[in-house]
Amino acid sequence: MSAQLGALIAAHLSDRRRSLLAWGLPLGLWSAFIVIIFPSVEGALSKAVQGYPEALKEAFGIGELTSVEQYLQAEMLSLIVPLALGYLAVRAVASGLSGAAESGRLDVLLSSPVSRSRIAAASFAATGVELAVVLVVTVILTALGSLVADAHLSLSAAIAGYASVWPLALLFAGLGIVATGFSLRTTVVTGAVAGALVTMYVIDLVGRLDPDLSGIRYASVFKYYGNAIEDGIDPLSFICVTLAALLLAALGAWLFERRDLSG
Amino acid sequence: MAVIETERLTKRYGSARGIEDVTVSIERAEVFGFLGPNGAGKTTAIRTLLDFLHPTSGEARIFGLDSHRDSVAIHARLGNLPGDFGYGKQSTGREALRLLARLRGVEGLGRAEPLAERFHADLDRPLGELSRGNRQKVGLILATFHSPELLILDEPTSGLDPLMQEEFLALVTEERERGCTVLLSSHELDEVERVCDRVGIVREGKLIAVERVAKLLAKTQRRNRVEVEFSKPVELEDVRQIPGVVDAEFAHANLEEVFLTYYKEGEEG
Repeated sequence: MSAQLGALIAAHLSDRRRSLLAWGLPLGLWSAFIVIIFPSVEGALSKAVQGYPEALKEAFGIGELTSVEQYLQAEMLSLIVPLALGYLAVRAVASGLSGAAESGRLDVLLSSPVSRSRIAAASFAATGVELAVVLVVTVILTALGSLVADAHLSLSAAIAGYASVWPLALLFAGLGIVATGFSLRTTVVTGAVAGALVTMYVIDLVGRLDPDLSGIRYASVFKYYGNAIEDGIDPLSFICVTLAALLLAALGAWLFERRDLSG
Repeated sequence: MAVIETERLTKRYGSARGIEDVTVSIERAEVFGFLGPNGAGKTTAIRTLLDFLHPTSGEARIFGLDSHRDSVAIHARLGNLPGDFGYGKQSTGREALRLLARLRGVEGLGRAEPLAERFHADLDRPLGELSRGNRQKVGLILATFHSPELLILDEPTSGLDPLMQEEFLALVTEERERGCTVLLSSHELDEVERVCDRVGIVREGKLIAVERVAKLLAKTQRRNRVEVEFSKPVELEDVRQIPGVVDAEFAHANLEEVFLTYYKEGEEG
């Protein structure tokens, strides 16, 4: 890694240090709360879930809620964490590009001997680190919650569950860089990619609810997300989604090199 | 060899005008001013030179290098103060300097500290807490701390108080003496007159005149500054030949009057 890239990543993370806590702490505390209350609601939950329609259980990945891992999957990992981290990813990557353009910082950086693609690469890499830190904070607080409530959460399962969110969220960072190739307005970039995030989630949901429409799930990255807290990480999906994110980032950097930076 | 050379450099925004057929050559250790009102195309010209905007046609070379293809190599040798300088509200000037020093491979902070002292710039307060003028001082330091060969300054004194404007003009003179080439844009005619060797007058995206400041002033003085109403330009001798005239002299024209003359001619033509 070049000294320039390292400097840009460090600066990006320094600017985003408040965001690391602002996202990591609430997600971690919420996740810990879910784990802490599990022992006290375990029996009631099992009965309630038995009454749920099969389609609903299938759609939201709710199986039997007889373990804390299953409960964590249903409450956190099937919806909240992937959507939240996907949104965080696009916010983070946009702050380093369109946000920097709006504040004037991009002009200052690009007046030094650094290329636009290097700035895009640094923004993408820093977002990957930021996502990882938020996930680590979340796992640590969740594990602490399990210790406090004696919930017997498998640490390796929890790590697998949260780690599987990383490539998914990173893909939306890649999409964010592509969007920056078309607009340098942060509201446009975050709005467009957040729209894509929700749309992909809904496409996957519809595909799971209606077997006749299951083919549309290929249009959504959520098809490759799975249930890693129970099944473990699928290495192929993990690697392919990460590669897709890298390809999108490279495409975005190429577009970013070619566009005008309007004053 | 010229430090900056453009050949019919044109930038259009769709059908809207940016700059058109700008051809200019700026020599080493020269202070060149782009002069024109807001919206004339000065900033577009500068941003195209810096490769922030890609030209529609024409070409620009800086240090003999292509302004687009070799932009990274060019930027290693220049300092730029963007118009309406900003860097984000939470960062301090020192944080920005540290990052730029690392990107440029400069040991420490170069000559940032003496410059900060000279301009009374606060490098340790978040930029969002500084007034526009104090932010501009930080921007000026970011542009000059590494002693570049070429300084590009877009409306450099905007927001600076008169004392700091004086200090800035002194700095530009020192930079020229050091061998640095300076390209600045301004609509402050007085400061351009005082510091520039040559000016290019920009009107509606076109460079309508490029002259040495002294020559421009002399030219207009010869043509227009007789404070007697005549139907056409006259020579002083002719005026002196008018019966009853004891003496006649031309009043001194300043650059503002020169500038306005060019603009009026452009509008009439």
